[in-house]
Amino acid sequence: MAKVLDMMQFLDMNDTAIIKAAVQHLYLSFGSVLIGCLVAIPTGIWITGRDKIAGHVLRIIGTIQTIPSLALLGFALPLFGIGTLPAMIVLFLYSLLPILRNTYTGLTSINPAFIEAGNGMGMNSRQLLFMVKLPLAMPVIMDGIKISTVYILSWATLGALIGAGGLGDLIFTGIQTADANYILAGAVPVALLTAAAGWLLGKAEIALTPAGGK
Amino acid sequence: MFNIPLLTLQHLELSAAGVALAMVIGIPLGYIITRNRMLARAVLALIDITQTIPALALLALLLLWIGLGDVPLIAALVFYSLLPIVRNTYTGLSSVDASLIEAGKGMGMTGWQLLRMVQIPIALPVIMAGIRVAMVTAIGIAAIGVLIGAGGLGAPIWRGMQQMDNGMILSGAIPAALLAIITETVMERVEQGLTPRGLRKVVTGN
Amino acid sequence: MVTFRSVTKAYRNHIAVKKFNLEVQDGEFLVLIGPSGCGKTTTLKMVNRLIEPTSGEILIDGKNVRAMDAVALRRRIGYVIQQVGLFPNMTVEQNIDLVPRLIGWDSKKCKSRVKELLEMVNMNPDIYASRYPNELSGGQQQRIGVLRAAAVEPPLILMDEPFGACDPISRETLQDEMKKLQNTLKKTVIFVTHDMDEALKLADRIVIMRQGEIIQVDTPERILRQPADAFVESFIGKNRINNPALLCVEQIMKTNPVTVSPDCGLAECVALMRRKKVDTVLVVDAQGRLLGGVDIEELERQRSVHKIGDISSELGAVLNNVSGREAFAIMNENRLKYLPVVDKRDRLVGLVTRTSIVDAIASAVWGDGESA
Repeated sequence: MAKVLDMMQFLDMNDTAIIKAAVQHLYLSFGSVLIGCLVAIPTGIWITGRDKIAGHVLRIIGTIQTIPSLALLGFALPLFGIGTLPAMIVLFLYSLLPILRNTYTGLTSINPAFIEAGNGMGMNSRQLLFMVKLPLAMPVIMDGIKISTVYILSWATLGALIGAGGLGDLIFTGIQTADANYILAGAVPVALLTAAAGWLLGKAEIALTPAGGK
Repeated sequence: MFNIPLLTLQHLELSAAGVALAMVIGIPLGYIITRNRMLARAVLALIDITQTIPALALLALLLLWIGLGDVPLIAALVFYSLLPIVRNTYTGLSSVDASLIEAGKGMGMTGWQLLRMVQIPIALPVIMAGIRVAMVTAIGIAAIGVLIGAGGLGAPIWRGMQQMDNGMILSGAIPAALLAIITETVMERVEQGLTPRGLRKVVTGN
Repeated sequence: MVTFRSVTKAYRNHIAVKKFNLEVQDGEFLVLIGPSGCGKTTTLKMVNRLIEPTSGEILIDGKNVRAMDAVALRRRIGYVIQQVGLFPNMTVEQNIDLVPRLIGWDSKKCKSRVKELLEMVNMNPDIYASRYPNELSGGQQQRIGVLRAAAVEPPLILMDEPFGACDPISRETLQDEMKKLQNTLKKTVIFVTHDMDEALKLADRIVIMRQGEIIQVDTPERILRQPADAFVESFIGKNRINNPALLCVEQIMKTNPVTVSPDCGLAECVALMRRKKVDTVLVVDAQGRLLGGVDIEELERQRSVHKIGDISSELGAVLNNVSGREAFAIMNENRLKYLPVVDKRDRLVGLVTRTSIVDAIASAVWGDGESA
C-alpha cells in the first residue's frame, strides 16, 4: 500500500517529465517507422517480379536485423554523433525488414486471376498497381507495419542511452538510482503505447482489407 | 583493455544459457499445448505479451528483484526466448498430418514412439527455426546486459559510448554484430541439415 | 475369427453403431459397406480399439479385445487407411519394417521381409527400398501402405477405404492386386468401402449397413439376386446390369429358344430352323421338359432319319440359378456351342449361346438397358 501511494506521489511530481518523455518516444518511434514505410514499401514494390534481386535485398536487410541494437547504435555514434539523429537512423533501419518483407510477400501472393482480370480490362501497370495489387496486398502490408511499430516502440527505449530521450530515459534513471518508480514510469507507458498501437493498427488492417477478402 | 575474445565467449555463453533454459521449459510446453486447442490459445496469448515489454525495462525490474550480474540477464533471456520456442514447437508438432498419427496409432505405436519417430523428426526444422530466432534475439539483448552488471560485449560498447571513444565502441560492436550474423548463418545450416530427407523439396519425374 | 457380440457405439447425440452382431470367418474377405454415416468405419475401428464400444464385445479368436493391451493388439493387426499415412521422414523400407522393429525383429529378418514384400508387388527392392514416400505415385504409396500392414504377417487386416484416394486406374490395379494377394495369403480382411463395385469385386461376404445397423449380410451373388429391401436394391442399383461377371444366367440367356417335339420330322425341323434363322433346336416334351437338342450340322448328316427324337443328343443343362460366369465357364470347358437352362423341374427356360453372352457383355459395356 505504501508503495502504491509512493508511486502516485511520484507520478504527480513528475507528470510533465513523463509526458515529455512519452511524446519524445512517440516522435522517435513513429518518425522512424514513417520513414521506414516511405523507403520499404516502394522498395518492396520494386523488387516484386525481380526475384533474384529480391533475394539479395531481403537477405541484406535481414542481416541488419540480426545485429544487436546496442551494436548498431554503436556504429551510428561515430558517424552521426549523439542525440535524436543516430537513434532515428538505427530505428529506421530496424523498421525496414517487416515492412519490406510483407510488402513483397503481399504483392507476390496475390491470386494471379486478379492480375489477369485487370490486364484483360486494359489497365496499364500503374493502374494495376494502385487499383488492384496494392489494395489486395494492403492487409499484409499493414501487418508488417504493425509488427515494425511494436518492435520499434519497444527498442526506442535504447535511444535514451545515446541521448535521444524518450521513455528509456526514465527507465535508465531508474537503473542508476535503483528506483522502481522511475523504471515503472518508463516501462508501463511503453507497454501501454505498444498495446495501443498494436490494437489500432490491427483495426486499420481489418478496415483496409478489401470487402471481398475478409 | 577489454579481452574481446573472452567477452565474445562470455556473450555467447550467456545467450546460449538463456536459450537452453527456455528450450527445457518451452519445448515440452509447446508439446503439451498441442493436445488442447483452448489451452494453446491461452498460453500463446500470454507469452505474446512478453514481446510488448521492452528489454531494457525488464532488465531494470529484474535488477531490482534479483540484483546485479549474469543471473538477471539470463532470466530475461529465458523470458524473451519462450515465445519463439513455444510457438514454433507448437506449430511444428501441429503441422504433422493427423492421418500420420492415426496410422501410427493403428499400427501399434505408443505415444512416445510416435513422438520420437514421427512427430519430432517432422517438426524439427520448424523447432530449430524457433531456437535460431531465440538465439539471435538473445545475443541482441545480452548486449545491454552490461547495464545491469552482466558480462559480454556490451561492456566495451557502453564504456566507449560514455567516453566518446569510437575505437572502444567498435571493438565491441563489430564482434557483437559478427557473432549474431555468424550464429544465425550456422544455425540456418543446421536447420537445413535437420530437415528429414523425405521432406525436402523433391523434383519428381512422376 | 472375429466375433462381434451386440456391439454398440453411442455418442452424445447419436448412435453410430447399434447392436452389431457378426461372425467373421478365418481367411474371409469381409466388406462393410453403406452410405456415409452408417457406422462402417466406426465398427472397423472398434476392432483395433481406436474407438472403444459403449457396450457389447469384440472377440478375436475367442479372446475379448478389451482384455488385451491395446498397443500389443494393434501390432498384431494390420491397418490401412485411405490417406495412406506413410511417414514422410522414413524410407519405404523404414516404413514397412516399422512394426517388425517395434516388436524386436533383428535387422536381417527385417531386411529380408522387406525384400520379400516388395518383390510380391513387383517393386524392385534395390530401387524402392531406399526411396521416400514423396518420390512415389499415389498408387505406389498405397501399395506400400498395404505391405506395411502385412509386414508381421498379422492374421487379421483392417482396411478403411484404402483405395478411395487413388485415381480410377490405380484403384482398379490395386483392387486386382489385392485380390491376387488375398488368394495367396488368405488373411482375414475386414474392408470398409462405399463403392459397391469394389465390394462386389473383392468380397467373400458383404455387410450392408445403414444408420448403424446391419441390413444384409451375404455373398455378392446372393445380394445381387435377393436384395433384402428397397434400400439395398437402390444401393446396388446399377450393378445389376453393369457388372457382367455377376449376371445371373437368366439375364444372359435367350428366353425363347426354338423348340420342337420329338415327333417333329426332319424336313419340318430344317424349315423351322431356316425360318427362325437359328442353327440349333431343342427337343422338349409336352410339359416343356428338356429331352435333348439338335444342331443343323447334325441334321445335314442324318438325311435318312425321320424323327427328330431319334437323333437328338442328350444335353447337359444348367439350372437357372447359376451365375452367368459359371455358365460361360461350363461352355468353355466342354467346348459347347450352346447350353440349355432349365428350372428345378427340368423344364426348359432358356438357352445360352455364344451370341447371347456377347450381347450381354455388349449391353453391359455400352448399356442399352435391356438384358440379353
